[in-house]
Amino acid sequence: MKKLSALVVSFYLLCFFTSIFIYYKIPLYAEDEGKLLPTAIKEIRPATSKSSLQDWVKTANTQKQKLTIAGQQHTQGGHTLYPGATMIDMKSYNKILDYKPDKQVITVQSGITWEQIQRKINPDGLALRVTQSQAVFTVGGSLSANIHGRDIRFGSLYDTVESFRLLTPEGKVIEVSREENREWFPYVIGGYGLFGIILDVTLHLTQDELYQIETKKMTVQEYPSYFHEHVRKDEAIRMHMSRISVAPDTFLTDMYVINYQLANNQTMISRYSKLKGEPIIALPKAILGLSRYSDYGKNLLWDTQKSYLFNEDGSYITRNNVMRSDSRFMAFEQPGRTEVLAELFIPIDEFPNLIDDLKIILTREQLNLLNITIRFVEKDEQAILSYAKEDMFGLVLLINQGKSKTDINHTQKVVQQMIELTLSLGGTYYLPYYPYASEEQIRKSYPKLDQFFHKKKELDPKEVFVNLFYKEYK
Amino acid sequence: MNYQRFLRSQSLMVAAGSVVFPFYLLFIRNIGESYSQFGWAYGLFTLIAACSYPLIGKMTDRFGDKKMLLVYTWGMSIVMLIIPITTEIWAIYVIQILMGFLGAVQKTVEKTALSQHVKRMSHTAGRSIGHYHLWTSISSAAAIIGTGYMIDFLTIGSLFYLASLMFFTAGIILSRGSKTLSDKAEERQNADAKTLPF
Repeated sequence: MKKLSALVVSFYLLCFFTSIFIYYKIPLYAEDEGKLLPTAIKEIRPATSKSSLQDWVKTANTQKQKLTIAGQQHTQGGHTLYPGATMIDMKSYNKILDYKPDKQVITVQSGITWEQIQRKINPDGLALRVTQSQAVFTVGGSLSANIHGRDIRFGSLYDTVESFRLLTPEGKVIEVSREENREWFPYVIGGYGLFGIILDVTLHLTQDELYQIETKKMTVQEYPSYFHEHVRKDEAIRMHMSRISVAPDTFLTDMYVINYQLANNQTMISRYSKLKGEPIIALPKAILGLSRYSDYGKNLLWDTQKSYLFNEDGSYITRNNVMRSDSRFMAFEQPGRTEVLAELFIPIDEFPNLIDDLKIILTREQLNLLNITIRFVEKDEQAILSYAKEDMFGLVLLINQGKSKTDINHTQKVVQQMIELTLSLGGTYYLPYYPYASEEQIRKSYPKLDQFFHKKKELDPKEVFVNLFYKEYK
Repeated sequence: MNYQRFLRSQSLMVAAGSVVFPFYLLFIRNIGESYSQFGWAYGLFTLIAACSYPLIGKMTDRFGDKKMLLVYTWGMSIVMLIIPITTEIWAIYVIQILMGFLGAVQKTVEKTALSQHVKRMSHTAGRSIGHYHLWTSISSAAAIIGTGYMIDFLTIGSLFYLASLMFFTAGIILSRGSKTLSDKAEERQNADAKTLPF
């Protein structure tokens, strides 16, 4: 009996350790928001302290290991992924280091989200200058993608950064500002994590303001002159965005704009200054769900969005709340399918021409396009990989697609046609999304790309910081 | 095997199942490419269980509760070692077939063993069954709540290894039980009225 017991235990232990051995051999897969680039990585390490980050970078440098840097991973082109690399998860590196409300500046660790900053500064009547429409992203990720949003008065995100500390590929910590080590500045902002880890950032803030929402229906032809004459010239309009229909009944014809106009009576702000929580999302989620599968759904979504927005006309909202729209209703989880973004930048006056030709491309090709929003980006060529060669409109396209090779090829074909069209009209496209653009298209859109990669090799000769974007286009 | 021993091992195996159950669902969902595969994986489990019940019933009569429970606990301890290293959908189907069979063993034996236990105390049968479910459910709850805390410190893979060790230990507890008690149906029928049937 004892012999039998020993046999059973030995057999079990053998199975146990064999399983663990195999388990550790299985590669760890990671993917970003686009879900099209599952990549076998070495490990994920949460960032905890400057010294441990420094140790990791120094070790990687001497032992020829590869590192990627990840925040919320909302980029969709593998900017946080690389085969066999260690992914440094910056989300836990999220403290507020210094805050001077009187001077309207804040210093934060780069893994903090905009939402966390808002919670800190809102009670003091302060707000962010430039962020995306949602506040879920990390500051480090946003700087690395050189993002843009609804603000039309504070220039680019680049302008709102006073300075930052960078952990270089050699493992040194340097202060980067417009005075110190300034040669790093235009490479790190919009540098997609290829020049080191942004440790902490000092950002300029502004006064929180109360806005009155103004919504207006518009034709595609009217929009550029409306924007020049009414939006840019009217200093009271602080933020702006627009939408164009992708519903079959009104395809690329119907559009409306939303202006956030400084309210006459700013003393009312206290009534609206509470940060918006999470609304009930069942209805928008259901309608968006319908629009994924049918033309009826797309028409219903457009009509609902429109009537909802026209109901909002005249209502009040604070700057902080404009910068924290909810996007949870957009979350999409279906095996075999995903939703990706593509963004085209078009010089303002070319907007009607772009839409006319887009209509031809999108009517010919079957693309499950769910939404297009439009934002203004002011000319800004400070970052090496800057996309706003002049004042532009950025059209963000939300595309529902399959994950198979055939589906990816199909979307690529259509997106390349759209980029080609945009380029022919003097436009560009945005880099944080899936790398659908051809080699030629990226070089046309970003003439300084070779300079960017050249500098990368100079400052990071051992290629410690890498990602799939770098692998694709270097 | 006496009642206390049976209860201890049952509690441990119920707890082991509770530790991994939510993560197991997630695991199938992640490996599957579509909801239809998820449906198949789950359907297979129930279907195999359904088909095995008559056979398992006969086997239980023949080999007795203790041996059948050993098949369940040690079988599950091995299945728990296979899950973390599974990366293909076909392997999930195989695991579901194994677990369907083993789950049916557990359900059957739990009932036969309990019914033997309460047979001689029919006037307090409800109380005994209540007592049994109280302790197995408390183990399950403790495991679920405890996992909520542990998951911050352990990987999902290590939860399966933990569950495997728990199943194996439950088997050890059972195996050390007295051999004289109701190992076979005939013995059960002839069991001394003073002796508990476990």
